[in-house]
Amino acid sequence: MALLEVRKLVKAFDGKAVLDGVDLDLEEGQVKVIMGPSGCGKSTLLRCINRLTEPTSGQVIFRGEDVTRPDTDVRALRQRIGFVFQNFALYRHLSALDNIKLGLRKLRAMSEQEATSRAEHELRRMMMQDHGAKYPAQLSGGQKQRVAIARALAMDPAVLFFDEPTSALDPHMSREVVALINQLYLDNVTMLCVTHDVFLARHISDRVLFLDHGCVRAEGDADHLLEDHEDPHIRAFFGRETQGQ
Amino acid sequence: MNFWQILAQLATGAGYTILVTVACIATGLVTGLLVALLTRLRLRALDRLLATYTYVFRGVPVLVLLFLVYFGLPGLGLNVPPLVAMMLSLGLIAGAYLAEVFRGAFASVDPDEIMAAEAMGMSRRQILLAIELPQMLRFAVPGMLNEFTTVLKYSPFAYTVGLPEIMKQAMALAATTLRGLEIYLAIGVLYFGIYKLMLFLVRAIERRYAVPGFIRL
Repeated sequence: MALLEVRKLVKAFDGKAVLDGVDLDLEEGQVKVIMGPSGCGKSTLLRCINRLTEPTSGQVIFRGEDVTRPDTDVRALRQRIGFVFQNFALYRHLSALDNIKLGLRKLRAMSEQEATSRAEHELRRMMMQDHGAKYPAQLSGGQKQRVAIARALAMDPAVLFFDEPTSALDPHMSREVVALINQLYLDNVTMLCVTHDVFLARHISDRVLFLDHGCVRAEGDADHLLEDHEDPHIRAFFGRETQGQ
Repeated sequence: MNFWQILAQLATGAGYTILVTVACIATGLVTGLLVALLTRLRLRALDRLLATYTYVFRGVPVLVLLFLVYFGLPGLGLNVPPLVAMMLSLGLIAGAYLAEVFRGAFASVDPDEIMAAEAMGMSRRQILLAIELPQMLRFAVPGMLNEFTTVLKYSPFAYTVGLPEIMKQAMALAATTLRGLEIYLAIGVLYFGIYKLMLFLVRAIERRYAVPGFIRL
Protein backbone atom coordinates (compact mmCIF):
# COMPACT_ATOMS: atom_id res chain seq x y z
CA MET A 1 0.00 0.00 0.00
CA ALA A 2 1.30 3.44 -0.94
CA LEU A 3 1.99 5.92 1.85
CA LEU A 4 0.13 8.57 -0.06
CA GLU A 5 -2.44 8.24 -2.83
CA VAL A 6 -3.96 11.27 -4.48
CA ARG A 7 -7.01 10.59 -6.61
CA LYS A 8 -8.65 13.00 -9.06
CA LEU A 9 -7.74 15.98 -6.93
CA VAL A 10 -9.34 19.23 -8.03
CA LYS A 11 -8.73 22.69 -6.63
CA ALA A 12 -10.50 25.66 -8.17
CA PHE A 13 -10.07 29.31 -7.24
CA ASP A 14 -12.99 31.48 -8.36
CA GLY A 15 -14.18 28.76 -10.71
CA LYS A 16 -10.74 28.36 -12.33
CA ALA A 17 -9.23 24.93 -11.81
CA VAL A 18 -5.61 25.16 -10.63
CA LEU A 19 -5.56 21.39 -10.07
CA ASP A 20 -7.75 19.50 -12.47
CA GLY A 21 -7.91 15.84 -11.51
CA VAL A 22 -4.40 15.07 -10.26
CA ASP A 23 -3.43 11.47 -9.48
CA LEU A 24 -0.26 10.70 -7.57
CA ASP A 25 1.19 7.78 -5.60
CA LEU A 26 4.06 7.97 -3.16
CA GLU A 27 5.55 4.81 -1.70
CA GLU A 28 7.24 4.54 1.69
CA GLY A 29 10.90 5.51 1.38
CA GLN A 30 10.43 6.96 -2.09
CA VAL A 31 11.61 10.38 -3.27
CA LYS A 32 9.37 11.85 -5.93
CA VAL A 33 9.81 15.16 -7.70
CA ILE A 34 7.02 17.29 -9.12
CA MET A 35 8.02 19.66 -11.87
CA GLY A 36 6.19 21.96 -14.24
CA PRO A 37 5.84 25.55 -15.36
CA SER A 38 5.14 28.36 -12.90
CA GLY A 39 1.50 28.48 -11.94
CA CYS A 40 0.82 24.87 -12.95
CA GLY A 41 -0.38 24.02 -9.43
CA LYS A 42 2.70 22.33 -7.94
CA SER A 43 2.69 24.19 -4.64
CA THR A 44 -1.12 24.09 -4.47
CA LEU A 45 -0.92 20.31 -4.75
CA LEU A 46 1.35 20.07 -1.69
CA ARG A 47 -0.88 22.47 0.25
CA CYS A 48 -4.00 20.48 -0.69
CA ILE A 49 -2.46 17.24 0.50
CA ASN A 50 -1.90 18.57 4.03
CA ARG A 51 -5.04 20.69 3.75
CA LEU A 52 -3.41 24.07 4.17
CA THR A 53 -5.62 24.67 1.15
CA GLU A 54 -8.96 22.90 1.02
CA PRO A 55 -9.33 20.76 -2.13
CA THR A 56 -12.49 21.34 -4.16
CA SER A 57 -12.94 17.62 -4.82
CA GLY A 58 -11.02 14.36 -5.06
CA GLN A 59 -9.35 12.19 -2.47
CA VAL A 60 -6.09 12.17 -0.56
CA ILE A 61 -5.47 8.78 1.02
CA PHE A 62 -2.76 8.85 3.65
CA ARG A 63 -1.73 5.42 4.93
CA GLY A 64 -5.09 4.02 3.83
CA GLU A 65 -7.16 6.76 5.41
CA ASP A 66 -9.09 9.29 3.32
CA VAL A 67 -7.92 12.56 4.86
CA THR A 68 -10.19 14.75 2.73
CA ARG A 69 -13.21 13.64 4.76
CA PRO A 70 -14.79 16.43 6.81
CA ASP A 71 -14.22 14.59 10.10
CA THR A 72 -10.45 14.29 9.54
CA ASP A 73 -8.29 15.63 12.34
CA VAL A 74 -6.41 18.08 10.14
CA ARG A 75 -3.91 19.08 12.81
CA ALA A 76 -3.00 15.44 13.42
CA LEU A 77 -2.58 14.95 9.67
CA ARG A 78 -0.26 17.96 9.43
CA GLN A 79 1.86 16.65 12.28
CA ARG A 80 2.57 13.58 10.16
CA ILE A 81 3.71 15.66 7.19
CA GLY A 82 6.89 17.71 7.51
CA PHE A 83 6.86 20.81 5.31
CA VAL A 84 9.95 22.73 4.22
CA PHE A 85 9.01 26.01 2.60
CA GLN A 86 10.60 27.83 -0.31
CA ASN A 87 11.75 30.75 1.84
CA PHE A 88 12.40 28.53 4.90
CA ALA A 89 9.78 30.36 7.05
CA LEU A 90 11.82 30.13 10.24
CA TYR A 91 10.31 31.94 13.21
CA ARG A 92 12.45 35.07 13.28
CA HIS A 93 12.07 35.79 16.99
CA LEU A 94 13.38 32.36 17.98
CA SER A 95 16.89 30.92 17.84
CA ALA A 96 17.58 27.95 15.57
CA LEU A 97 17.31 25.63 18.58
CA ASP A 98 14.03 27.18 19.74
CA ASN A 99 12.61 26.96 16.21
CA ILE A 100 13.01 23.21 16.45
CA LYS A 101 11.87 22.98 20.06
CA LEU A 102 8.63 24.89 19.55
CA GLY A 103 6.74 22.08 17.86
CA LEU A 104 8.13 19.49 20.27
CA ARG A 105 6.98 21.54 23.27
CA LYS A 106 3.59 22.59 21.91
CA LEU A 107 2.58 19.53 19.92
CA ARG A 108 4.51 16.63 21.43
CA ALA A 109 4.22 18.03 24.97
CA MET A 110 7.88 17.24 25.61
CA SER A 111 9.62 18.61 28.67
CA GLU A 112 12.12 21.43 28.18
CA GLN A 113 15.00 18.98 28.66
CA GLU A 114 13.62 16.35 26.26
CA ALA A 115 12.84 18.96 23.60
CA THR A 116 16.32 20.51 23.90
CA SER A 117 17.96 17.12 23.63
CA ARG A 118 15.89 16.18 20.56
CA ALA A 119 16.46 19.56 18.90
CA GLU A 120 20.21 19.31 19.48
CA HIS A 121 20.17 15.83 17.94
CA GLU A 122 18.43 17.14 14.82
CA LEU A 123 20.87 20.06 14.57
CA ARG A 124 23.78 17.61 14.77
CA ARG A 125 22.15 15.51 12.05
CA MET A 126 22.10 18.61 9.85
CA MET A 127 25.65 19.54 10.90
CA MET A 128 24.30 22.70 12.50
CA GLN A 129 25.18 21.95 16.12
CA ASP A 130 27.33 25.09 16.40
CA HIS A 131 24.53 27.38 15.27
CA GLY A 132 21.74 26.51 17.70
CA ALA A 133 21.89 29.83 19.53
CA LYS A 134 21.83 31.90 16.36
CA TYR A 135 18.72 33.67 15.14
CA PRO A 136 17.49 33.24 11.54
CA ALA A 137 18.84 36.67 10.52
CA GLN A 138 22.32 35.48 11.55
CA LEU A 139 22.21 32.37 9.32
CA SER A 140 23.01 31.98 5.62
CA GLY A 141 20.38 30.68 3.20
CA GLY A 142 21.81 27.17 3.28
CA GLN A 143 21.95 27.18 7.09
CA LYS A 144 18.34 28.36 7.29
CA GLN A 145 17.39 25.52 4.96
CA ARG A 146 19.09 23.02 7.24
CA VAL A 147 17.33 24.40 10.31
CA ALA A 148 14.00 24.25 8.45
CA ILE A 149 14.65 20.61 7.58
CA ALA A 150 15.73 19.85 11.16
CA ARG A 151 12.55 21.51 12.43
CA ALA A 152 10.45 19.33 10.16
CA LEU A 153 12.37 16.12 10.94
CA ALA A 154 12.20 16.67 14.70
CA MET A 155 8.46 16.01 14.54
CA ASP A 156 9.24 12.57 13.14
CA PRO A 157 6.97 12.93 10.12
CA ALA A 158 5.88 10.08 7.84
CA VAL A 159 6.78 12.16 4.80
CA LEU A 160 8.69 15.35 4.12
CA PHE A 161 7.41 17.91 1.59
CA PHE A 162 9.84 20.35 -0.02
CA ASP A 163 8.44 23.37 -1.82
CA GLU A 164 11.12 24.73 -4.18
CA PRO A 165 13.96 23.98 -1.74
CA THR A 166 16.71 25.49 -3.89
CA SER A 167 14.97 28.51 -5.41
CA ALA A 168 16.43 30.90 -2.81
CA LEU A 169 19.91 29.35 -2.83
CA ASP A 170 23.03 29.82 -4.92
CA PRO A 171 24.36 26.84 -6.98
CA HIS A 172 26.82 25.81 -4.27
CA MET A 173 24.14 25.71 -1.60
CA SER A 174 21.80 23.94 -4.02
CA ARG A 175 24.36 21.16 -4.32
CA GLU A 176 24.44 20.95 -0.52
CA VAL A 177 20.67 20.50 -0.51
CA VAL A 178 21.04 17.68 -3.04
CA ALA A 179 23.52 15.96 -0.75
CA LEU A 180 21.25 16.52 2.22
CA ILE A 181 18.18 15.06 0.52
CA ASN A 182 20.20 12.08 -0.64
CA GLN A 183 21.38 11.54 2.93
CA LEU A 184 17.76 11.63 4.11
CA TYR A 185 16.87 9.14 1.39
CA LEU A 186 19.52 6.79 2.77
CA ASP A 187 17.90 7.30 6.19
CA ASN A 188 14.67 6.05 4.57
CA VAL A 189 12.84 9.38 4.77
CA THR A 190 9.94 9.55 2.28
CA MET A 191 9.99 12.84 0.36
CA LEU A 192 7.88 14.73 -2.13
CA CYS A 193 9.66 17.67 -3.70
CA VAL A 194 8.30 20.45 -5.87
CA THR A 195 11.01 22.15 -7.89
CA HIS A 196 11.99 23.98 -11.06
CA ASP A 197 15.57 22.93 -10.60
CA VAL A 198 16.56 20.27 -13.15
CA PHE A 199 19.87 19.65 -11.39
CA LEU A 200 18.05 18.93 -8.13
CA ALA A 201 15.44 16.74 -9.82
CA ARG A 202 18.04 14.70 -11.67
CA HIS A 203 20.14 14.09 -8.58
CA ILE A 204 17.58 13.29 -5.92
CA SER A 205 14.99 11.13 -7.60
CA ASP A 206 14.36 8.57 -10.28
CA ARG A 207 10.68 9.44 -10.50
CA VAL A 208 9.56 12.78 -11.83
CA LEU A 209 5.99 13.87 -12.31
CA PHE A 210 5.34 16.67 -14.79
CA LEU A 211 2.39 18.88 -13.98
CA ASP A 212 0.92 21.25 -16.55
CA HIS A 213 -2.26 23.32 -16.35
CA GLY A 214 -3.30 21.45 -13.24
CA CYS A 215 -3.00 17.97 -14.81
CA VAL A 216 -0.32 15.30 -14.67
CA ARG A 217 1.06 15.46 -18.18
CA ALA A 218 3.67 12.78 -17.69
CA GLU A 219 5.35 10.67 -15.06
CA GLY A 220 8.46 8.64 -15.49
CA ASP A 221 12.06 8.17 -14.64
CA ALA A 222 14.09 11.33 -14.48
CA ASP A 223 16.42 10.63 -17.40
CA HIS A 224 13.61 9.81 -19.81
CA LEU A 225 11.46 12.77 -18.78
CA LEU A 226 14.25 15.31 -18.63
CA GLU A 227 16.13 14.19 -21.74
CA ASP A 228 14.06 12.68 -24.51
CA HIS A 229 10.38 12.57 -23.71
CA GLU A 230 8.12 12.08 -26.73
CA ASP A 231 5.89 15.03 -25.73
CA PRO A 232 7.32 18.11 -27.54
CA HIS A 233 5.90 20.43 -24.88
CA ILE A 234 7.84 18.65 -22.14
CA ARG A 235 10.98 18.52 -24.30
CA ALA A 236 10.68 22.25 -24.97
CA PHE A 237 10.16 22.97 -21.28
CA PHE A 238 13.25 21.09 -20.16
CA GLY A 239 15.26 22.27 -23.17
CA ARG A 240 14.74 25.86 -22.08
CA GLU A 241 15.41 25.03 -18.48
CA THR A 242 18.63 23.19 -19.26
CA GLN A 243 19.91 26.11 -21.34
CA GLY A 244 19.10 28.43 -18.48
CA GLN A 245 21.15 26.48 -15.92
CA MET B 1 11.13 80.52 47.52
CA ASN B 2 13.54 79.84 44.67
CA PHE B 3 13.05 77.64 41.61
CA TRP B 4 14.63 74.56 43.22
CA GLN B 5 12.41 74.84 46.25
CA ILE B 6 9.38 75.11 43.96
CA LEU B 7 10.58 72.07 42.04
CA ALA B 8 11.09 70.10 45.27
CA GLN B 9 7.62 70.98 46.54
CA LEU B 10 5.91 70.09 43.27
CA ALA B 11 7.83 66.82 43.10
CA THR B 12 5.76 65.58 46.03
CA GLY B 13 2.84 65.38 43.57
CA ALA B 14 4.92 63.41 41.09
CA GLY B 15 4.00 60.19 42.84
CA TYR B 16 0.34 60.74 41.98
CA THR B 17 1.20 61.66 38.39
CA ILE B 18 3.19 58.44 38.05
CA LEU B 19 0.39 56.46 39.75
CA VAL B 20 -2.25 57.86 37.35
CA THR B 21 0.00 57.33 34.33
CA VAL B 22 0.92 53.76 35.27
CA ALA B 23 -2.69 52.84 36.13
CA CYS B 24 -3.99 54.26 32.84
CA ILE B 25 -1.18 52.64 30.81
CA ALA B 26 -1.91 49.28 32.50
CA THR B 27 -5.63 49.65 31.72
CA GLY B 28 -4.82 50.62 28.14
CA LEU B 29 -2.36 47.77 27.67
CA VAL B 30 -4.72 45.11 29.00
CA THR B 31 -7.69 46.45 27.03
CA GLY B 32 -5.71 47.11 23.86
CA LEU B 33 -4.09 43.67 23.94
CA LEU B 34 -7.37 41.91 24.60
CA VAL B 35 -9.11 43.78 21.79
CA ALA B 36 -6.23 43.20 19.35
CA LEU B 37 -6.01 39.47 20.20
CA LEU B 38 -9.76 38.93 19.89
CA THR B 39 -9.82 40.92 16.65
CA ARG B 40 -6.95 38.79 15.34
CA LEU B 41 -8.90 35.62 16.14
CA ARG B 42 -11.68 36.97 13.88
CA LEU B 43 -14.51 35.96 16.16
CA ARG B 44 -17.56 36.98 14.18
CA ALA B 45 -19.72 37.46 17.24
CA LEU B 46 -17.31 40.03 18.71
CA ASP B 47 -16.05 41.76 15.57
CA ARG B 48 -18.70 44.49 15.51
CA LEU B 49 -18.41 45.13 19.26
CA LEU B 50 -14.60 45.45 19.14
CA ALA B 51 -14.70 47.73 16.10
CA THR B 52 -17.30 49.93 17.78
CA TYR B 53 -15.13 50.21 20.91
CA THR B 54 -12.03 51.38 19.02
CA TYR B 55 -14.14 53.68 16.81
CA VAL B 56 -16.03 55.37 19.66
CA PHE B 57 -13.24 55.63 22.23
CA ARG B 58 -10.81 57.17 19.75
CA GLY B 59 -13.38 59.83 18.93
CA VAL B 60 -14.33 60.97 22.45
CA PRO B 61 -12.23 63.66 24.21
CA VAL B 62 -10.58 62.46 27.42
CA LEU B 63 -12.04 65.25 29.55
CA VAL B 64 -15.59 64.62 28.32
CA LEU B 65 -15.33 60.91 29.10
CA LEU B 66 -13.69 61.61 32.46
CA PHE B 67 -16.52 63.96 33.48
CA LEU B 68 -19.08 61.51 32.18
CA VAL B 69 -17.62 58.77 34.38
CA TYR B 70 -16.82 60.85 37.46
CA PHE B 71 -19.71 63.32 37.51
CA GLY B 72 -22.24 61.49 35.34
CA LEU B 73 -22.27 57.96 36.72
CA PRO B 74 -23.14 59.03 40.32
CA GLY B 75 -26.47 60.14 38.80
CA LEU B 76 -27.09 56.45 38.15
CA GLY B 77 -26.04 55.58 41.68
CA LEU B 78 -22.48 54.58 40.68
CA ASN B 79 -19.83 56.47 42.62
CA VAL B 80 -16.48 56.05 40.94
CA PRO B 81 -13.23 56.86 42.81
CA PRO B 82 -11.02 59.45 41.02
CA LEU B 83 -8.27 57.00 40.04
CA VAL B 84 -10.80 54.49 38.67
CA ALA B 85 -12.49 57.32 36.75
CA MET B 86 -9.12 58.11 35.15
CA MET B 87 -8.64 54.45 34.26
CA LEU B 88 -12.12 54.22 32.75
CA SER B 89 -11.62 57.34 30.67
CA LEU B 90 -7.96 57.96 29.81
CA GLY B 91 -7.12 54.24 30.25
CA LEU B 92 -9.85 52.99 27.93
CA ILE B 93 -9.13 55.68 25.33
CA ALA B 94 -5.45 54.65 25.41
CA GLY B 95 -6.65 51.05 25.04
CA ALA B 96 -8.51 51.92 21.84
CA TYR B 97 -5.41 53.59 20.37
CA LEU B 98 -3.14 50.76 21.52
CA ALA B 99 -5.51 48.20 19.96
CA GLU B 100 -4.89 49.94 16.63
CA VAL B 101 -1.12 50.01 17.23
CA PHE B 102 -1.24 46.26 17.95
CA ARG B 103 -3.46 45.59 14.91
CA GLY B 104 -0.86 47.27 12.67
CA ALA B 105 1.97 45.37 14.36
CA PHE B 106 0.12 42.06 13.95
CA ALA B 107 -0.18 42.79 10.23
CA SER B 108 3.63 42.92 10.06
CA VAL B 109 4.07 39.31 11.17
CA ASP B 110 5.30 37.30 8.20
CA PRO B 111 2.33 35.24 6.85
CA ASP B 112 4.77 32.53 5.76
CA GLU B 113 5.78 31.93 9.38
CA ILE B 114 2.12 31.58 10.32
CA MET B 115 1.62 29.14 7.46
CA ALA B 116 4.69 27.16 8.56
CA ALA B 117 3.19 26.85 12.03
CA GLU B 118 -0.17 25.78 10.58
CA ALA B 119 1.62 23.23 8.41
CA MET B 120 3.26 21.88 11.54
CA GLY B 121 -0.17 21.26 13.07
CA MET B 122 -0.28 24.06 15.62
CA SER B 123 -3.68 25.41 16.64
CA ARG B 124 -4.78 28.99 15.96
CA ARG B 125 -4.38 29.84 19.66
CA GLN B 126 -0.89 28.30 19.84
CA ILE B 127 0.22 30.25 16.77
CA LEU B 128 -1.22 33.46 18.14
CA LEU B 129 0.50 33.14 21.50
CA ALA B 130 3.81 31.53 20.50
CA ILE B 131 4.55 33.25 17.20
CA GLU B 132 2.35 36.25 16.44
CA LEU B 133 2.18 37.85 19.90
CA PRO B 134 5.94 37.87 20.69
CA GLN B 135 6.71 39.31 17.26
CA MET B 136 3.87 41.79 17.37
CA LEU B 137 4.95 43.20 20.74
CA ARG B 138 8.44 43.86 19.40
CA PHE B 139 7.04 45.62 16.33
CA ALA B 140 4.67 47.67 18.47
CA VAL B 141 7.27 49.30 20.77
CA PRO B 142 7.50 52.68 18.95
CA GLY B 143 3.70 52.98 18.74
CA MET B 144 3.30 51.91 22.37
CA LEU B 145 5.85 54.49 23.53
CA ASN B 146 3.95 57.21 21.67
CA GLU B 147 0.72 56.21 23.38
CA PHE B 148 2.35 55.97 26.81
CA THR B 149 3.67 59.51 26.31
CA THR B 150 0.19 60.70 25.37
CA VAL B 151 -1.20 59.13 28.55
CA LEU B 152 1.45 60.94 30.62
CA LYS B 153 0.56 64.23 28.94
CA TYR B 154 -3.17 63.75 29.60
CA SER B 155 -2.58 62.77 33.23
CA PRO B 156 -2.98 66.41 34.47
CA PHE B 157 -6.71 65.97 33.86
CA ALA B 158 -6.63 64.01 37.11
CA TYR B 159 -6.59 67.31 38.98
CA THR B 160 -10.14 68.00 37.74
CA VAL B 161 -11.40 65.03 39.73
CA GLY B 162 -9.42 65.90 42.85
CA LEU B 163 -6.26 63.80 42.60
CA PRO B 164 -3.35 65.77 44.13
CA GLU B 165 -0.97 65.21 41.23
CA ILE B 166 1.63 67.75 40.06
CA MET B 167 -0.84 70.03 38.30
CA LYS B 168 -3.11 70.29 41.31
CA GLN B 169 -0.14 71.15 43.55
CA ALA B 170 1.08 73.71 41.03
CA MET B 171 -2.24 75.49 40.83
CA ALA B 172 -2.47 75.66 44.60
CA LEU B 173 1.09 76.99 44.82
CA ALA B 174 0.55 79.50 42.01
CA ALA B 175 -2.56 80.82 43.76
CA THR B 176 -0.63 81.51 46.97
CA THR B 177 2.72 82.70 45.57
CA LEU B 178 1.68 84.27 42.24
CA ARG B 179 4.94 82.93 40.71
CA GLY B 180 3.36 81.26 37.70
CA LEU B 181 6.42 81.37 35.45
CA GLU B 182 8.72 79.40 37.77
CA ILE B 183 5.95 77.07 38.88
CA TYR B 184 4.76 76.07 35.42
CA LEU B 185 8.34 75.86 34.19
CA ALA B 186 9.04 73.49 37.09
CA ILE B 187 6.03 71.40 36.05
CA GLY B 188 7.44 71.14 32.53
CA VAL B 189 10.78 69.97 33.96
CA LEU B 190 9.05 67.36 36.12
CA TYR B 191 6.95 65.99 33.25
CA PHE B 192 10.04 65.84 31.08
CA GLY B 193 11.86 63.95 33.84
CA ILE B 194 9.01 61.42 34.10
CA TYR B 195 9.00 61.08 30.31
CA LYS B 196 12.74 60.38 30.32
CA LEU B 197 12.28 57.78 33.04
CA MET B 198 9.54 56.08 31.02
CA LEU B 199 11.68 56.19 27.88
CA PHE B 200 14.58 54.62 29.79
CA LEU B 201 12.38 51.79 31.10
CA VAL B 202 10.80 51.04 27.72
CA ARG B 203 14.18 51.07 25.99
CA ALA B 204 15.60 48.75 28.67
CA ILE B 205 12.74 46.28 28.09
CA GLU B 206 13.20 46.61 24.33
CA ARG B 207 16.92 45.85 24.65
CA ARG B 208 16.23 42.90 26.96
CA TYR B 209 14.00 41.25 24.34
CA ALA B 210 15.89 42.40 21.23
CA VAL B 211 16.45 39.76 18.56
CA PRO B 212 19.36 40.25 16.13
CA GLY B 213 18.18 41.21 12.66
CA PHE B 214 14.52 41.27 13.65
CA ILE B 215 12.95 44.04 11.59
CA ARG B 216 9.56 44.80 10.06
CA LEU B 217 9.47 43.22 6.60
